Parts: sequence; structure tokens; C-alpha cells
Amino acid sequence: MGTDYASDYHVLRLDNGLTLVHHELAATPVVVADVWIRAGAGMEPLEWTGMAHFLEHMIFKGTPTLAPGIFDHLVETQGGMTNAATSHDYVHFFITIAADRLAHALPHLADLLLHAVIPADEFDRERLVVLEEIRQAEDDPDWLGFQAMAEQVYQDHPYGRSVLGAAATLESRSPAEMRCFHQAHYQPENMTVVITGGISLEQTVEIVSQSFQDFPDPCPCPAPPTPLIPTIQGVRREQLTLPYLEQSRLSMAWLGPGIDNLKDGYGLDLISALLGQGRSSRLVRELREERQLVQDVTAGFSLQRDCSLFTIQAWLDRQQVDRVEAIICDRLSQLAAQPIPRHHLNRAKRLLSNDYTFSIEAPAPLAGLYGYYSTIARPEQCFTYIPTIQQYDETTLRQLASRYLTPLHYVSTIVHPS
Amino acid sequence: MTASLLSTSRLYRTVLSNGLTLIGLENPAADIIAARLFIGTGQILETPETHGLVSFLMALLTKGTTTLSALAIADRVESVGASLGTDAAPDYSVISLKTVSADFEEIFTLATQLLRYPSFPEAEIDLERRLALQYLRSLQEQPFTVAFNHLRQQLYGDHPYALSGQGSETSLGALTQADLMAFHRQQFGPDNLVVTIVGRIPPEQAVDLVERTLGDWPGTNQPRPQPTLPSLTPRANCRVIPQNTHQAIVMVGYTAASIQAPGFAALKLLNTYLGSGLSSRLFVELREKRGLAYDVSALYPTRLGASQFITYMGTAPENTAIALAGLRAEVERLSHSLLSEAELQAAKNKLLGQYALGKQTNAQLAQILGWYEILGLGVEFDQRFPAQVAAVTALDAQLIAQQYLREPSITLLGPEAAVTPVGEAEGADREFA
Repeated sequence: MGTDYASDYHVLRLDNGLTLVHHELAATPVVVADVWIRAGAGMEPLEWTGMAHFLEHMIFKGTPTLAPGIFDHLVETQGGMTNAATSHDYVHFFITIAADRLAHALPHLADLLLHAVIPADEFDRERLVVLEEIRQAEDDPDWLGFQAMAEQVYQDHPYGRSVLGAAATLESRSPAEMRCFHQAHYQPENMTVVITGGISLEQTVEIVSQSFQDFPDPCPCPAPPTPLIPTIQGVRREQLTLPYLEQSRLSMAWLGPGIDNLKDGYGLDLISALLGQGRSSRLVRELREERQLVQDVTAGFSLQRDCSLFTIQAWLDRQQVDRVEAIICDRLSQLAAQPIPRHHLNRAKRLLSNDYTFSIEAPAPLAGLYGYYSTIARPEQCFTYIPTIQQYDETTLRQLASRYLTPLHYVSTIVHPS
Repeated sequence: MTASLLSTSRLYRTVLSNGLTLIGLENPAADIIAARLFIGTGQILETPETHGLVSFLMALLTKGTTTLSALAIADRVESVGASLGTDAAPDYSVISLKTVSADFEEIFTLATQLLRYPSFPEAEIDLERRLALQYLRSLQEQPFTVAFNHLRQQLYGDHPYALSGQGSETSLGALTQADLMAFHRQQFGPDNLVVTIVGRIPPEQAVDLVERTLGDWPGTNQPRPQPTLPSLTPRANCRVIPQNTHQAIVMVGYTAASIQAPGFAALKLLNTYLGSGLSSRLFVELREKRGLAYDVSALYPTRLGASQFITYMGTAPENTAIALAGLRAEVERLSHSLLSEAELQAAKNKLLGQYALGKQTNAQLAQILGWYEILGLGVEFDQRFPAQVAAVTALDAQLIAQQYLREPSITLLGPEAAVTPVGEAEGADREFA
């Protein structure tokens, strides 16, 4: 068992290969257990699209010794909360509960994760629930716009496919296939258990090592296609129309680096704050407050394992779309070409550094941060975020802008009211 | 689980000579300070003519003071990476801020200037009006929001809670700078203000800061107009909104107890039992056992006036009738049969556990402390509420269900062929969206 210390934070590798991250927050009476697994939609063979998310639902449907619903009832009637989420790079399951109840709740979560039975009747019924989730998403114009953009940006890479899958594909799946996917991927070497809050390291190690035992034997499972890292050549523009829309959406997207180049990724995060986070950011100030061309505009950077995504999105009247897109392109050229005033750079740094500080005040987001980094990189890499951000100077940032955010190569997805 | 706020030795409360109430809690755990400035005026004071006024005014507080432009305000906040926002709730309004400790004094001082000296510049009014009207239109894009706005009207009729708070095209179009100034003069003052400060700041320092920034604000000594609220006579009704969505939205609502009414704790408990979490009755019966929905839940917001008890779900259009029957059966069951002791205890544990989990951050604590005070219940309510919940018996719960959950307002939104026949069977008046 190896130990790596950094203040109140510990990362351990258990004998079976499971990663355990612990961070004690002595002041809180609450504990969060957050289990992260490299078993997201990126692990699906093409014809199994939607399997990882559907499995996340089915995990809650019991084990040989735990009937469906017992775990939820147990956690919630002890005053706790539990839920789960699936993305392309991960799936994770979490509990928030009073510190002294963790020893009662965690063994059951581990049992569900390791020994899910995936009963056939529950499989058929839960599929109806997933189909409802898809229908609900299809009534959300922003979700539809995002999916259309992701498809264009990522093409054949799994990031281009909806995590929810499609009705037709889900209808063709069987409980046996799902068991296979589960046993292949829910293995200790793919798993990080994060425990944060009012609990000691010693207790944590004891509870976690006793809970996460007897992993199933891994079985062969169809592999996902080798992901092709996409590139964007030229400007790809797509327009779609939707009923019941009151205004148009413009989404512009650029590809960023993968997790192997965190420094560039954090730099792009800084640029997103500079351009489009807060009323005094460049695009919000110009497009919304001064020229009043948009209802809202925002820039965002989303870190992903294979390749990240930089987006600028605007909500606006149909007749302003072309003009706003042209202005944004122009501002990106300017960003690369003209010195960034110190005040702009410092503002963006303060914004991101404080957001980071605010986001780890409570144990749940702190656990999420460790789990995410542990799943796509290494948990301790999250500690490099603030120092890396602080070190950026304006020249390096402008080089990043001209390298990644060129107005010559990007994807533009426009949604209009029909 | 979490100790009550009152039992912590670091809680303090003081009333300044001008009537301002300050409640603070020193919490050194993180290098963060959160504050709230609550004004005891909300949408409950609005009429159809002034609908949206409070929300509009609160948004404009950050758009100019007698000495600072909108841009200067945004720049001050964002250049130190602080967060500062305003909100208009049905029963109160609030300015919220959060900073790392070193920046707190500067940003808190700025917030007090926004509160005291707004200038409501004409250009900013025009911009905000344009944004508000666009936002109003964008609300039509979300089926759930559309259905909920209808349900609120069905439940409340002429009562101000019928209004969304966002205003209408007519009312927003008519608001003037003079209206905003008059409302600010009338409603904003130290005797209608509760300030909460939670985080890494010693009490004496917080009190001193509030004294320096707000202590010289004279009270008005004039009685403020109180809202005249129409009484509500619940009557079963149904409304159908035909819309070609992928899912039908089914909502069943009732007017319900205010926070001060005797049924409050029992209704919170029943709402938790029905709709809170993965083990709730609606989730288990309608989603887990029957696969009818992804999102199925219940809500019962805390209100100074008559609140609302709502159950809802999104379902495949062809399931509209059984979804409605399912929701109604589960609500009506509460009046017909007693909860078992195990069900009652489970719901209590869940409600009180989640209540405790809602007090994890400085911002959450600042919200709860000031909210009870501004509603006139005092911070002691944080202790009283768990005691009230613990005391509810199965018989109490059933009697309260019988009292409130009798006359349902039903809202159905979805493809016409699916929702209209179901609505007609309920005697719906039809809406053409």
C-alpha cells in the first residue's frame, strides 16, 4: 500500500488496485463518498451507445443480497442523499450523509457497484424511464443545440454522441450485454473512491477496504472503436430549426488539448473568463451591454480526457446571428494580435482562482474534483490549477489564442425558431 | 445531525439604533465570507399593473449608483473575483455576495452603496427592459415553465402569487424611472432590512463594518403599505395547453399552508414523503414500479402567504391519463389512509437530514439566518421547525391532508390529441398557446 501525503489530502492504492482519495474536513459533520469509474460512454462499442448511462440506472436495481430500492431508502431515511451521473469519460455514484452513518451506507453502495444483478424485468421497466429522459431532453432546445454542435465538432469520436443514446439502439440491448459491460469495466483498477468531510483517514481506510472486496471476474466485452482525435478544417456551419423557440442560438466551438497538456487547457480556461464570464468580460460588455446585439453571451472551457472543448454561445435575434459571429471572429483575431492589458489578465486570474476556492468549500464538490482528476489523469493534478493559472503572462496567452482559437477553423451551430 | 444554528456560540444578533437587524456567525473553516442584505419587500406587493417591478428594480441596483456606473460596479466586483447578485423572491428581496476574506470589506461596502444610492439610469432601464422582455419570451421555450405559469394562475386567481414575478409585456413596458425611485424610497430603509454575515470574520469587526456603512441611514418612521391579499377559495379546475412536445407535462396542485399556519410542518413532511429523493412514494410507485417518468416529484415552497403543494411529472403523451390518475391517487391516498409509523419516521428523518445538509456553506447559512428573520419568524425558527416536524403524528398529517389537498388544479401540456381528451374528462377550459 503506497501513501502520498499533501497536507490533509491522501491518495492510496489498495492491494486490489482500487484508488482511494481522502481529505478530512474536521469542521463538518457531513461525509461525502463519491465513487468514480472509467466506465463512461467513451467505453461503448458503437452499437451499444447509451449503455453506460442505462447501466448507471440499473446499478440501483439490486444485488443477490440487496433488493431494488433498499439502498436508496436506507441512505435517505438516515438523512442522507444519493445519486449518480454519467459522462463520456466517467460514471460516478455519490452519497452525502452524516459522518457517523458512512460505515452503514458505504458497504451497500459498494455491493451495488460490484454485484449488480441487472434483473431482466427491471431492465425492461427502467428502459422506459431512460426513454422518458431522452424525450425530456428532446424538448430542451439548449440540449438539442449542444448535441448538434458536439456531433459536428467530434465527428466519429465518442464525444460526438449523446450519453443518453437513442431509443432504437436501447431497444436492441439485452441484460446479458449490460452485465458484460458492467463486469468488464467496474473493476478496481478503473475505480477511485473519494471520501471527504468529517472522518479520519484511519476510519476511511477501514470502511473502504472492507466494503470494496470481491470484485467480479472481468469478462471479455466488445471494445470501443479506437477514438480518432478530430480536427476542424475550415469553418463548418450548420443551421437547424426548432418549434416553440423565441430566439436563436449561436454556438461556436474550437477543440482544445487533452489531459496530456493541462497547461494549455488551463490557459484556455483563462481566455474563456477573459472573453465571456461576467459583465465586465470583453464579449459580454461589448455585445450585450454596449451594442445590445444579444440577450446573453458566454464563453466556456470544458476539460476532457482526449480533447477539450472551447465554446462561445450567444442567445439572440435571428437577424443578428451573422453579424455577431463576424464580430466574435474579429475579437479572437484581436486577442491574438494585441497586448492584453494587465487589468484584464488579473481579473480573469482572480475570477478563476476564487471560483476554485468557492467550489471546494463543501465536501461534495471537493470530492468531485478529486474523483474527476483521478479518473482522467491523477488526483493530485488538481492542485496545479491555481499555480498554473497564476503563472500565465499575456504573451503566452496570446500564443495559445492564435494556436487554438483561430477564426479560420471552427464549428458554428445555429438554431433558429421555425 | 448538524447542530442547530442557535446552539453555536459564534452566532450573534444585534439591532442598530436605526432599526437595522444584523445576524452573524463566525466560521473560520474556509477563507470565505458570505453576506446577504434582505429587504422585507417582494413580489407579494405587486399588482397586475406593477407586475415585475421588484424583480426589475433589484436587477437595476447593480446598474448604477449616484457615484458609480454599471460598468464600474461590475469591474469592482469582478476584478477581485467576488460574486455579487440580486434576487426578487415572492416575499422578500436580497443582495447576495461572497468573497475571499481579504476582499470582504470592499465588496460589502459596495453592496451597501447599491442598496442605498441606486440611480436607475435611463439608458440602463432601457437595456434592462429589453433584456427582461426577451427573457419573458424565452420562458415560453421550456414546457415545464409554461405549464407551471398556467398552474399558478389556476391556483391563485387575483392573488399576487399568481404572477410569475417576471412581469408582463404591458407592465414592463409601462415602468418608469419615477416608479422605481418611488418604490425604492418607500420600501428600502434600515427598519426594513436584515443583514447576515457568515464566515471568517470576528463579530466585532462585522458589527463595526455594518455600523460604518449602514448605521447613518435614517429610518423613515413611516408605515409601509401592506399587501392586501384576496382570500382564496380552492375549486377543482383543469387547463389544457396543446403543444407539440415529445413529453406531456402533468401537474396537480393545491393551495396550501403559509409558514405560520399550523399545517406547515405536516405539509412539509407529506411533501417530502411524496416527492423527495429516490425513495419517495411518487418516485417508487410511478417511476420505479411503472416506468412512467424520468422526472416525477413534488414541491411545497415556504411562503409568508398561502403556499402551493404541487406534484408533477413528464411522461410519454400516450400515458397522460394514467400519469394524472397516478398522481391524483397518491395525493388522495394521504387523506384516506394513515401513514404507517415506519413511513412517518422515515419521512421525518429524510426531511430533517436534508434540512441539515442545506447548511453546509457560508452562503447557505447566511441565507437561512436572514430568511427567517425577514419573514418575521426570527432566527429561532431554525430550532422550532425541527421540533414541529418531530411532533407531527400520522393523524395530524392525515387531517392536514384532508384540509388542504381537496380541490386539485390540474394542468396538462402536450400534443393536442393526447392531452385534450384527458382534459375534457376533467372539465377543462382550453388554452390556445
